[in-house]
Amino acid sequence: MIEVEGLTKLYDEFPAVSELSFVVHPGEVTGLVGPNGAGKTTTLRCLSGIIPATRGTIRIAGADLGTNPLAAKRRLAFFSDEPRLFDYLTVWQHLVFAARIYQVPGYEETGRRLLEELEMADKVDLLPGELSRGMKQKLAIACGLLHTPKVIFFDEPLTGLDPVGIRRMKNSILKRAHDGAAIIISSHLLHLLEEVCSHVLILKTGRKVIDGTMGDILRKFSEQPGDANLEEVFFRATGETGGAT
Amino acid sequence: MIGALIYLQSQSLKNRLRARLRRLKKPKYLAGAVVGAAYFYFFFFRHFFAGRRPTTNVTPETLLLFELVGALALFVMVMSAWIFPHERAALAFSEAEIAFLFPAPVTRKALIHFKLLRSQLAILFTTLLLTLVTRRFGGGAGWIRALGWWLILSTLNLHTLAASFARTRLLERGISNWRRRAVLLSAATALVVAASLWVRHNVPAPRASDFESLEMMKYYFRHTLESGPASYVLYPFRLVVRPYLATDGWTFLVAAGPVLALMLFHYWWVMKSDVAFEEASVDYSRKLAEKIAVLRAGGGWHSPARRVKKKRPPFGLRPTGLAPIAFLWKNLISAGQAFTLRTWLLLAFVAVCIGGPMGASRRTPEWLLPTVGIVTAILAGYSLLLGPAILRQDLRQDLVNADVLKMYPLRGWQIVLGELLAPTAILTGAQWCLLLLAATTFSQTPGGGLIPLASRLSIGVGAAIIAPTLNLISLIIPNASVLLFPSWVQTGRERGGGIEVMGQRLIFMLGSVLIFAFALVPAAALFALVLFAMKIFISITAAVPLAAAFAAMVMAAEAAFAVWWMGRLFERFDLSAESLS
Repeated sequence: MIEVEGLTKLYDEFPAVSELSFVVHPGEVTGLVGPNGAGKTTTLRCLSGIIPATRGTIRIAGADLGTNPLAAKRRLAFFSDEPRLFDYLTVWQHLVFAARIYQVPGYEETGRRLLEELEMADKVDLLPGELSRGMKQKLAIACGLLHTPKVIFFDEPLTGLDPVGIRRMKNSILKRAHDGAAIIISSHLLHLLEEVCSHVLILKTGRKVIDGTMGDILRKFSEQPGDANLEEVFFRATGETGGAT
Repeated sequence: MIGALIYLQSQSLKNRLRARLRRLKKPKYLAGAVVGAAYFYFFFFRHFFAGRRPTTNVTPETLLLFELVGALALFVMVMSAWIFPHERAALAFSEAEIAFLFPAPVTRKALIHFKLLRSQLAILFTTLLLTLVTRRFGGGAGWIRALGWWLILSTLNLHTLAASFARTRLLERGISNWRRRAVLLSAATALVVAASLWVRHNVPAPRASDFESLEMMKYYFRHTLESGPASYVLYPFRLVVRPYLATDGWTFLVAAGPVLALMLFHYWWVMKSDVAFEEASVDYSRKLAEKIAVLRAGGGWHSPARRVKKKRPPFGLRPTGLAPIAFLWKNLISAGQAFTLRTWLLLAFVAVCIGGPMGASRRTPEWLLPTVGIVTAILAGYSLLLGPAILRQDLRQDLVNADVLKMYPLRGWQIVLGELLAPTAILTGAQWCLLLLAATTFSQTPGGGLIPLASRLSIGVGAAIIAPTLNLISLIIPNASVLLFPSWVQTGRERGGGIEVMGQRLIFMLGSVLIFAFALVPAAALFALVLFAMKIFISITAAVPLAAAFAAMVMAAEAAFAVWWMGRLFERFDLSAESLS
């Protein structure tokens, strides 16, 4: 479960995120939506402990990220839009390294299963420089899932993936949620979020505009029953026009 | 069209300057700027504004010698521009410039003008620096020196560009690089032979007395280059150098005329060369971007953006155990296969096998053993200074992956310690091997006196005990500065530059030396104390390693405190806030 209360992140005096509060329960997939500069990535980076929050409380599967960061970090995984890998470690060496960092005994079996699931079983000896962008993304995901996190954050997870990869990624996300993980996905691909997410959280200029279940939000922003999709909701909720006159 | 390109250039420069000025709001940049400006003022500008300085030792002969030396240097540079490069003509554009300008309706002529205009910025900056430096040591009128340098650099720049076009034209006509090089080298060889033959027949052969004084050597050098075939070849290069050496305004104006004509000729040559440079420029900009990426990742400017090769791990890493060991494992892989335990054992074995018999032998030349011993001991000491600059398999390399490191469920000190282990281990391994060689070979003093094995072992073991903690401290300093002042070091977000960064580096250099010296004071004091105290009870040979162990413990405690403090820094480290500044 992800519990966020009063999360605020300031860069000098500039508020990137202001007083953000929400909860994501196990099995839920929340789509984090907002225009560019809304604070989505900053929120995810604060939630995953990469950057310190200026104010507020974040609890990851019961562990307070501020007071007990190690326990919180052991339970989470964050996948950024740009996979960060070590140029000089092979695919398998990445898993070996991640296993030691997260102290995962018997990682070999889980690692092989993950690589097979991600169709990378034949690439164990390759270096990141020899992988396509999509493959690098998959490797980052394999490393992040090795310790079976209870909370997963995805920042634009579908970037660089081909149609087959996108479908597999969607299935993988749903499978993790089905297994009980609490998941947040930040993406601009609203139709894809609509397919995967059970909940939506819309941000604008660092503040929460609205959050709730996908169904409730679609209903709330429908002028006629069933006339609104997430894209329409996005424009109506944020007041963006999308070029419409 | 050129107006748009001038706008791009001027606005980029203006914005860059504005960003630099804005950064001065932060005390650390302001301090750097103040120190950098003070350095420039006291070292260069103070003399520049002190009015016209008399040119030191300016006799007509000296001026002629300078002119000949300058012409020879220019000749070598021009020949290099024709012989060494192998690639096609490429104008240096950034990736953004290529993306905007190449698909745009911009003529080839406008692009070349843009390139020439932009190179003028670099030339003007270099002119300023060279003027400051050369006037500082050579004196003379500032404006003559500045304009002289500008003429030299601009002509050279135009010639290099024209030469690259000509090389490409030759390639297009089927003349390979090797064929071109063979012809040019043959011509250069023929010239050298012709000049030598001419000198042999026309200049009296040098006698031993000609080399007795510097003046005589200068005379012979001058005589050789000033007459015969060399004088004809060097003539245009002397023309280019001459304005710089002018002693007054009128001489300068007279000398500048031919150079301006040469520049105009080169400009015409460049503009008339109908050579496609677009494809090579795209390739060049990609390589430049890769180089910058390597630089930002902690590599040197000259280290190529090469493809990383798969490397064997130094040891098997178990999934459980101390987490910092994972960083040691990872960074040793990064350092390469040369740094495995097997390699070090092999080197130690070789050191003993070579050094042992050498040190024990009484038939070696008297100078050999002290020389080998002293050189290896100096190398071991020198590695302490050079090692941290060369071995960067630590936070300096991994800070680009700070996002990933910060997600790990580890304390800051664990990450910092882990990052420091690999370079410490490599440096220590190298020093131990050198110490082993020094201890086994250094059996004689330069005066021929014998140094007992026990004494050598005592000092060697003492140094070996101190080495790991000493290396750790020397590596902690640059790594701590990465966390304290990420913008002062290449962190992967921005490439440093400007007077404030220069000032910061000066502060950093001075600070590093002071901190290192300061950190050693307690250890050195304890070493001396224990050594003198123990001498009463045990022999000096036994006291040295014991005192070294105490000193190492003090340094280990200092290092432990520093690692803990750096861990706290790492936990609070916010690269995104830093990059916003």
